[in-house]
Amino acid sequence: MSALSPHLLEEIKALPARYPQPRSAVMPALDLAQEELGYLTPEAMSEVAVALQLDPGYVEGVATFYTLFHLEPIGKHRFYVCTNLSCTLRGAEEIVEHLRGAIGVKEAGEVSKDGLFSYEEVECMGACEYAPMLRVDHRYHYDLTNEKIDALVAERKSPAAVRPASAPHPSPLSERGALRAPGSDGERELPKPKRTRKKAGG
Amino acid sequence: MAEQRGTVGGPVLTEWFATPDLHKLATYEKLGGYAALRKVVTSMTAQQVIDEVKGSGLRGRGGADFPTAMKWSFVPKDHPGPKYIVVNADESEPGSAKDRYLMENSPHALVEGAAIASFAIGGHQAWIYIRGEYDLPYEMLQEAIAEAHAKGYLGDHPFGTDHALDVRLYRGHGAYICGEETALLESLEGKRAQPRSRPPFPAIKGAWGLPTAVNNVETLSTVPWIIRNGGAEYAKRGTEKAKGTRMVTVSGDVKKPGNYEIVIGVTYRHIIEELAGGYLPGRKLKVFWPGGSSAKVLPASMIDTSTDLDGLKALGTMGGSGGIIVMDDSHCVVKGAARLLRFYAHESCGKCTPCRVGGNWAVRTYDRILANEGSQLELGVLERVADGLQNGRCLCGLGDAAGWVIESTMRHFHDEYEDHCLRHTCNVGAALAHA
Repeated sequence: MSALSPHLLEEIKALPARYPQPRSAVMPALDLAQEELGYLTPEAMSEVAVALQLDPGYVEGVATFYTLFHLEPIGKHRFYVCTNLSCTLRGAEEIVEHLRGAIGVKEAGEVSKDGLFSYEEVECMGACEYAPMLRVDHRYHYDLTNEKIDALVAERKSPAAVRPASAPHPSPLSERGALRAPGSDGERELPKPKRTRKKAGG
Repeated sequence: MAEQRGTVGGPVLTEWFATPDLHKLATYEKLGGYAALRKVVTSMTAQQVIDEVKGSGLRGRGGADFPTAMKWSFVPKDHPGPKYIVVNADESEPGSAKDRYLMENSPHALVEGAAIASFAIGGHQAWIYIRGEYDLPYEMLQEAIAEAHAKGYLGDHPFGTDHALDVRLYRGHGAYICGEETALLESLEGKRAQPRSRPPFPAIKGAWGLPTAVNNVETLSTVPWIIRNGGAEYAKRGTEKAKGTRMVTVSGDVKKPGNYEIVIGVTYRHIIEELAGGYLPGRKLKVFWPGGSSAKVLPASMIDTSTDLDGLKALGTMGGSGGIIVMDDSHCVVKGAARLLRFYAHESCGKCTPCRVGGNWAVRTYDRILANEGSQLELGVLERVADGLQNGRCLCGLGDAAGWVIESTMRHFHDEYEDHCLRHTCNVGAALAHA
């Protein structure tokens, strides 16, 4: 049985046609895989590689380079807390300490017992005027205080609010409507991806 | 959306920011939006667009400060195949948030600017490479692009003409190095983001091996204003050589952190003490980073320094990405520098040895110093590591920037380094928890 669902693999196979060269599809594809599984397993990366006709080692090399790809299990809600200089000047270290207690973990990357939470200390996320700040479930939260952290955690603990399902879809496919249909003028001058046959996923 | 902190109704970039729903095409257009793109595609040649922008004196706002019109003119006019505008929306310089502020307030200005730039280089497609953490700006740009297509301002026949124009989005996935233009291009091509050696320059061999101009969000967001009002009008603002206005982000120990539009040439005192409201009660300025964490620091005594880009260069620092980080006397410079070195070491792509090894070496040295294990030896090591990181020993500026943090903080605050290394004390009570 494959790690990624068949329909997702079909989506991934359709990605290369969106770019001037097919290789550009690797990050959007890993994004989709991670969205489905929560993190990137070796099997998932191989299946992405097969679907895109790339070497699995190459795909893993890309996945390990970028901070937003996770190769270990993560909490359903993952807090990315900025601890770069501007946020640290405004108390980010204390926020991290409080967050650890609030979600019941000892260190970054550890998943809470209920599987709901984990956190990362990350570099500047470009919202320095609101320091200290964090990102969770695809949204930024600003001017953090211990009370705000408690509220963010509590609202994710109550069953009604457990989502990232309702969070905005980060998939590259969601931009489909914004793009012009393939085959128009600008599109024709692009080199077509060389994809002659489909391989079965996994 | 959170309450916006920064200039609204400023001279150029933020001119319309006081208007609610500016992110909607209808609002943007009512105020005069897309008039520039219409003018460009219906009545101008590519060369005329380049000349108009040249007349404005606009220089790139991503940090490198390169004249925008010149960058466009380097893209070969007679190249037969596709050429690209790539928009660097990977803003990740510590202390810089202004591109996010611009995109969240006025996504159409960027879309319009990117389309105009595409026309100017004789291209048809612009790719906005936006950092993965910017969910909201991404969604707003998606919406803006869709609206522009629906109106017929982008597409095969923008404004009924035959010069096809399209703007597309590509998400980054968390790597500071992608702010470096050739690393960004590698990433856009689906690779690990490691800078390329130059030549060839992107203008000749850029995205997917084709001629490309890489421009910053703020740079392109300025372009529609220049076309609407004329390059000469823009050039009336600013200093003799550094024209116009720019965005700065003020963060850290000030009362009113925010993104402010300034006329180039005002002093840092004006920005920090007036626009950003000055210091927190009972505190005094100690040091500030004048243009992102990569710009060499200036001590409090240099608060009257002008934001003139060339003046800053003459001082050995830079206006950079406009991120002004303010640190007051309640914080320790050594710990601040240590925190930044951890950042540079973490974000080194690993391609060049001086940066890969030097950054980690600096982090280990700072760790010893902050654990009160420092001595004269550590002071010497830091000096040599700082030198080893700089002066063109690496393919891109990341290594240099790491070296500048060490070198400039040591130069201006040698007493604090000596306190830590030789006397194992810190002259600041409320220090950073751990750096």
